[in-house]
Order: sequence, then C-alpha cells, then structure tokens
Amino acid sequence: MSATLSPGQVTSPVLDRVVLAEAHWPASPADTPGSLPAIAGFVLSAFNPLVVEVAERCLRAHFGPPPAGRDGDRTAIVLASVRGDVTTADAVAAAVAAGTRVPPLLFFQSNPNAVLGHVAARWGLAGPVVCASPATEPGTDALACADLLFAAGEADRALVIVADLATGRGDNDQAVARLVTARGRA
Amino acid sequence: MAERARRAHRVAVTGVAARTAFGRDGAALLADGFAGTPAFAPVTRFDTAGRRTTTAATLPGDPVLADELVGAIEDAVVGTGVTTRAGVPLLLAAHADAGNAALAAEVAARTGFAGPARTYTGACVAATSALADAATLIATGRAERVVVAAGYLVEPSTFALFDAGRALSRDGRVRPFSAGRQGMLLGDGVAAVVLESASPLGIGAGGIGTVLASVAVDPGVPVDVAVRESPRAARPLAWLAGWARSGDAYHVCKPKPDGTGLARAITGALDRADVAPPEVGYVNANGTGTAFNDAAEVAALRLAGLGAVPTSSTKSVHGHALEASGLVEFVVTVLALGGGTLPVNSGYLGADPDCAIDVITGPRRAEPAYALTVNAAFGGANTALLLGAA
Repeated sequence: MSATLSPGQVTSPVLDRVVLAEAHWPASPADTPGSLPAIAGFVLSAFNPLVVEVAERCLRAHFGPPPAGRDGDRTAIVLASVRGDVTTADAVAAAVAAGTRVPPLLFFQSNPNAVLGHVAARWGLAGPVVCASPATEPGTDALACADLLFAAGEADRALVIVADLATGRGDNDQAVARLVTARGRA
Repeated sequence: MAERARRAHRVAVTGVAARTAFGRDGAALLADGFAGTPAFAPVTRFDTAGRRTTTAATLPGDPVLADELVGAIEDAVVGTGVTTRAGVPLLLAAHADAGNAALAAEVAARTGFAGPARTYTGACVAATSALADAATLIATGRAERVVVAAGYLVEPSTFALFDAGRALSRDGRVRPFSAGRQGMLLGDGVAAVVLESASPLGIGAGGIGTVLASVAVDPGVPVDVAVRESPRAARPLAWLAGWARSGDAYHVCKPKPDGTGLARAITGALDRADVAPPEVGYVNANGTGTAFNDAAEVAALRLAGLGAVPTSSTKSVHGHALEASGLVEFVVTVLALGGGTLPVNSGYLGADPDCAIDVITGPRRAEPAYALTVNAAFGGANTALLLGAA
C-alpha cells in the first residue's frame, strides 16, 4: 500500500462551503495607497491597515457595525500572506544593521497575529486565529485552512483574509476578505 | 461531550525530534533540561551591544535553519511507518518571512516529503496550530501520515524587537509562575513530529478493528472511516488524543486576564478526547515568565479544572523558540509521558499569589496517563494539545 492519500482513503467529504460576504482592496479608484485608514498602535507599514480595512468591509457587509454578536463566538480568523509585512521586517533589519534603536511599537506588529487581535477584539471574534505563508494559490490555501477548522469542529464561520503588500514592480497592495461557513452552520 | 464523538482515526505520535541549546539529539534536554538546569548563556552569535539583555539559549555557532529542519525531520522519521515520502504532507512553522515559500520548497526537496502547502506563521501558536491541522487531517481520513516541523534560531532582528519591547528578562533566567519573574529569554528550537493514523499502523491489542477510538471530530461532518490492512507497524510514542484552538477577542498582544479564552481551548481538547481534568497528570505550560502571561494562564488552568495538576514551563530551561516553541514543548511533553520524570520548572524563587497552581519546582517522578501542552500567542490565539500515554 502506498503511504500517499489515494481517493479511496479520503473518508470525509469535501465541505460545502458558503461565502457569506466578500470584500476587496482596492475595490474602486478611490482606494489609493495613501487612503488606508490608520490603525492606532500600528505604525510605518501599510500591511496592518490593509488587513483591517478589508476585514472591516467584509464584516460590515454581513454583520453591520461591530461587534458581531453571538455569531462571533465561533468565528475564526485566517490570514494568508505570501510575503507578510515586509515593510516592518525591512525596517527592523535596517535598524539592526545601522545599530540604531528599534521602535518598540514594531515589537508586536512584527507578527501577523497582532493585527488579527485588533480585528478580533473590535468585532468579538473568539474562534481560532491562524496565520500562514501559503506556498500555493493563497486564496485557495486560506480557505483550506478554514475547512480544517470546520472539519475539526473548532469554528462555525471563518473570516478568511489574503493580503500582500505591493512588491514595487508595478503592482498594488492587494487584499481580499471572505466570511465563510460550512453549509448548515450559519 | 461523548455524545458528540464520531468514530475517527486515532492519531498516533510515532516520531519526535528536538534540537535546542541542549544539543541536537535530545539526550541532554531529557537529562539536564528535565532536571531544571538552564541552557542560557551570553549570546555570541551576534553583537548584543546596546541591548538591555544579552542572554539566550543557543546552539553553538551559527546554524542554518533549513539544515536544522532537514536534520530534525530525518531524526524524527527514524522508526516510524513512513516509507514512501512523496505523498506524505509536510507542514512547517516559522517566522513570517518573505522567504518562507523558498524555505518550504528547499526542505521538501531535501527530505522528499510533499511540498508544504503553507508555513504557519502565527507567533507562539504557529507550530501547535500546524499540529492541530495535522491531527484533523488524520482524524478525518484526509491523510494517513503527516510530518510537522518548526524552527526558530535566535537572530539579531527578533532579539532586537523583543529587547525593544522590554519582554526579555534581565537577570539571565526565565522564572515562570515565580515571584520576581522578569520576562522571557529567547532560545533556539527546531523540532519535527510524525503523526500517523492508527489504522495504517495496524496496532491495537484486539487487531486492526480495535484501533479506532472515539476521537471526536465535528458532528456536522460525517466521518466514514475506512479500515484497511497495514503495510507495517510502528510503535506509537504517545497518542494525540485531543486538540483545540480558541481566540481571546481581547487585545493585539496581551492575553485576556481572566483566562476564559485559553480555558475554552483546554476544555475543547479534553472534550475531544473525552478525558476529565483529574485524568491529566502533567501540564507543559506556555509559561513565558512574564507577569501578565503567567497570571492569565493560571486563571485558565484553574477555570479548566487543572489547578492541582503538576505544571511546568520548560521555557525556563530551553528558552522561547517563538513559532517553533509549541513543537519543542510537544516533544518535551511526549518525553515526559514516557520517561517517568516530570520536567522541572526552573528558576523558581517563591510563590506568587497570582500563580496558585502546582508548580514542579524539584524532581518529581510520575507516569501520567495524559499530559496537556498549552500555548498562547499575540492576537489572543490559544492552543491546547492533549497527549495520551502509549
């Protein structure tokens, strides 16, 4: 027998996933790099404001203004980012190389969990918090993470965010957020 | 919770390896680390001039993360049921970095395992989140075997960040749950774990049909377990009996002081395994040695009914390996289940009224039936993994 996963060994069906709301950045010509609202406590990088803005748009589309109410109790957050917050990482590396002081605020924002804590606290989302660097198509992989949370019974809904900063090669900061559930959970 | 249970594949831990400042083979970790001898020393890997703290627990020299990950994976695979590697998923955990896709590709290419779909980057629960997903892959029949590997090697940027954030202890020690604790210290940690479904293992006293256990998966997801003959048998080191994650919904970096978020994860892990709190004989705590983390964790343990369970944080000897810490501590917990000795919570100076639990401050022999390993991270992310003795 092979150790690989063959079709006969897949014993749980693929979940029937439902998208409850979806939001994008940029979504219109007004969404310019300088127009992301600042987030208290987060500095220097557009990564965290980008994550918060796309999350806000998605959650408001489904829940209205925060908090999410009781539905938030079992709502997870998944964040997939191929490159992560490269602006913050580069700033820290530059300060270390130059022997200058590292700004204390960069301490917590150096990890993607921190901004999700901001979103979770504001909206009352108390499900699991998962961050990953996907090696395959980010949106698909992030939804696969949500499916595992549903399959394990760890969440009923998931706010699934994909966010990456511009690379400087003619592209833009881009993010998408989807609020998803498994059919029968909503 | 038993009524929620669906019969699913039981998750066996068949291979573990951990590389820390105690060395690459785990022997000194088990001997000296479990006895409470810390591995902290002045950092020589890079210049710490101008930092408030100059101490960490590091391997000699300047090791390369990919090399250490490959080495740990090869160490963990020995003696397991892993034969054909190409179809076995590999899940990685490491610091969020633009180079993670390249790191994952290199480790997969050098070990022959299926290229990681992702690298978990969620701070101090990155590795345990990978373990939880690996367990779900197996319990629901999506995979027969999964390899989880994680690594953090102390380097100047993270050291500078934690120093700037005043998170590091200045007295050269990590003193979890103790009066006078000052904070954490960083430590190298690279670990790998092999998880296997019980059915391909072919183990169980009554034959293949008895290896299916009532591991609870979600009631909304039908699990039609396929039982097939085994190609070979590997002896489990332990069972991953329960796992759960939760969020505090409280703060960007502070844990919820009342412990309710972490307590939900702990209770979820116990419920999945259908294990009652008194059956747990050891807790490997997150125990960073910071004032607010340890107090919140104690509140969670007490809420979950584990206030009287012998508890230690082995970060007190091997330091905090950040994204890899949960996997190092998972390996420690497996070793504690099988070794007859519980690891000491080093650096303890005296009781703190906010940490009223049974802290293991000296050598203690025990053979627990179940042990829990708990982790918590920035963003209020919590994980709890329950291991059962083999």
